[in-house]
Amino acid sequence: MMMTTTLTGESRTSRPDGDTVTVTETDSELPVIELVHPMPGFPDLHKFALVQLDDAGRLSSLTSLEQPDLRFLVAPPAPFFPDYEPEVDDEVASELGIVEVEDVLLLVVLNAGRSLAETTANLAAPVLVNTVTRRAAQVILDRPGLPVAAPLIA
Amino acid sequence: MLGEDITVTVLEVRGDVVRIGIDAPRSLKVHRAELLAQLEESNRQSASPSEDVVAELSKALGRDKE
Repeated sequence: MMMTTTLTGESRTSRPDGDTVTVTETDSELPVIELVHPMPGFPDLHKFALVQLDDAGRLSSLTSLEQPDLRFLVAPPAPFFPDYEPEVDDEVASELGIVEVEDVLLLVVLNAGRSLAETTANLAAPVLVNTVTRRAAQVILDRPGLPVAAPLIA
Repeated sequence: MLGEDITVTVLEVRGDVVRIGIDAPRSLKVHRAELLAQLEESNRQSASPSEDVVAELSKALGRDKE
């Protein structure tokens, strides 16, 4: 939650309180992140904007800057999966240039259903964002107990 | 062996379960093809939900908090 604030705080401070950040703003205002590997199923797309969709910071979108009609809903997993603490190997850390663990924003990709009860989160491949370098990746964790489609609420 | 530095070993066969070990340089990404296919499918399904769905989810998450 802290990380979300850090990442979006910059673009929000210049606005009056309550104003919503939207994708129609100029690119320079958006926190642009670069995927060091494309997301599975979406080769060739590397540049995304991370856009906060609600005031609480529970829901954001990863919006492609190369294919503007494409976006993914992402959320910090902590409110929904308090025990979810994925470990990544040194290789990933080095690719993202991670120095301090505090610099890492952990997000899960949501598969939005018609209702909250039908919405799932991908715990097998979270998105890690280095908030300092703005380098990110959907990291593939091949571990038992980390489903691709975990119900968002129990 | 695959090439110079990748070793595939059958570690164990027990009933229907076969454990396979893959020893490869750390720089090489080793992922199960079926997991990758699953992730591709999941990402495609997750991509670009409609405005209605996003608004509904955003609202529901707000309610959930209270």
